[in-house]
Amino acid sequence: MLNLIKKEIRLCLHPTAFIFLLFAVLVFVPNYPYEVIFFFSCLSVFFSCMMARENGDISFTCTLPVKKEQIPLAKISVIFGLQCTILLLVGIIGAIKGVVLPAEQYVNQAGISANLVLVGNGAILLGIFNLIFFPCYFKKTDKIGAPFIIGAIIIFLLIGVFIVLRWATPLYSITLNGLNSENTGAKLAALAIGIVVYVVLTAASCKLSIKNFQKVDL
Amino acid sequence: MNALEVRELTKVYPEFKLDKVSFCVEQGHISGLIGRNGAGKSTTIKSILRLISAEGNVSVFGKDFLKEEMVVKQMIGYVGGGFRYYPMNTLAAIRKAYAPFYPSWNQSRYEKFLSQFELIESKKVKELSEGMKVKFALALALSHGAKLLIMDEPTSGLDPLSREEFCDIILQLVREEGVSVLFSTHITSDLMRIADDIVYISQGKIIAACPLKELLGKYKQAQFSSLAAATEANAIGVKPVKDGYEGLVNSNVQGLRDAVIIDTTIDSIMVHLEKANKERKYAESD
Repeated sequence: MLNLIKKEIRLCLHPTAFIFLLFAVLVFVPNYPYEVIFFFSCLSVFFSCMMARENGDISFTCTLPVKKEQIPLAKISVIFGLQCTILLLVGIIGAIKGVVLPAEQYVNQAGISANLVLVGNGAILLGIFNLIFFPCYFKKTDKIGAPFIIGAIIIFLLIGVFIVLRWATPLYSITLNGLNSENTGAKLAALAIGIVVYVVLTAASCKLSIKNFQKVDL
Repeated sequence: MNALEVRELTKVYPEFKLDKVSFCVEQGHISGLIGRNGAGKSTTIKSILRLISAEGNVSVFGKDFLKEEMVVKQMIGYVGGGFRYYPMNTLAAIRKAYAPFYPSWNQSRYEKFLSQFELIESKKVKELSEGMKVKFALALALSHGAKLLIMDEPTSGLDPLSREEFCDIILQLVREEGVSVLFSTHITSDLMRIADDIVYISQGKIIAACPLKELLGKYKQAQFSSLAAATEANAIGVKPVKDGYEGLVNSNVQGLRDAVIIDTTIDSIMVHLEKANKERKYAESD
């Protein structure tokens, strides 16, 4: 399994998978819907899968001494690592922003502030994307466009929902908004919920992907 | 012990059926899997390697593929038609990702093959000629100590000289390293030179699985001056040619009138048996 993960990193990751991690610094852009940062992470998954298709990666991997169910597991594990990295980076850079900028500049007019709740929201978005994209991708590994478009539409709808919540509900506009040092308990709870949702959805995505991939004829 | 045993391999598609395909590859033998385009050669190989799910049993050196998949895959080297993977990556990058899967990987052996095949590891796959791509696939397969090479049309797209060179390499490997080979191709002249056995597949069914000499000894090619003479001789798969009609006859047939008898080739056996099959199919559908 470790060899398969190394092979994924060496041969299958599109450069944008690493470049888009740097987009975590977008939390410094004033008045920006920061959840969009997580969409770039989804976009890098799409590019990596497209590159895998052009490289004949799945066929090549199937001839290696690996079990078929390990192939989706390895791919999703690598993406899981990248997604955890972007969540971590957004959390860290958001916290740095809270420290270095005055409190009034921390307020985001286009959505929630760059705080722990944003990381929780991002985790939910990524979990939902994983649940939509990977099971469809591993049903037909040469069809990448449709699963990505469906995933992207749902991601943007959810981003819209998060923005509406920011303005329409006191929970999001007051309690969960602003610096991490304010209402820390509530923010940590929102982050924990996001992480649990992400882990559960990604695990479900992995299970469905393995099941679908077993039926694929290459 | 057989290097490969395939028993009743069956795969059903809406428009094609691989129908209870069974054959063996003896240890140290080169078996040619022949058949026209779309006959089921690649489907057979993909089914053997479990790239597609098919019914039936496959065992390699006595080990069941499904039960001992990881052990079996260590013993197999798969060479497709060239190396079509990761065109933008260097050979070194691919080797670094590939080698760790095989505990028996022998780096010095790999380097020996690189130098024998004149491959440069810093080159990208897309920079290799078709012949070089096949050699790279072969170098990867042989460096992990594959005892059975499964090759799916490796000589397609190669010029005659490269094909000749490739066949020489395979022959040398069988003689010196004792590997066993299943070699699918529709370029049968390659097999005339190197194959020990032939597995002939047509429309998803095995027509013949026997030693090459036995197959060639079974038929003679007969050239008749008229269709009536060919019909009288019960020739198989009769077709018009420049100077009359041509068909296969059983090699023990005697006393043919107006016929020139010559030794047959795999090509002519395929051509006439396919023609006979087609005629039988038309007759059945009428």
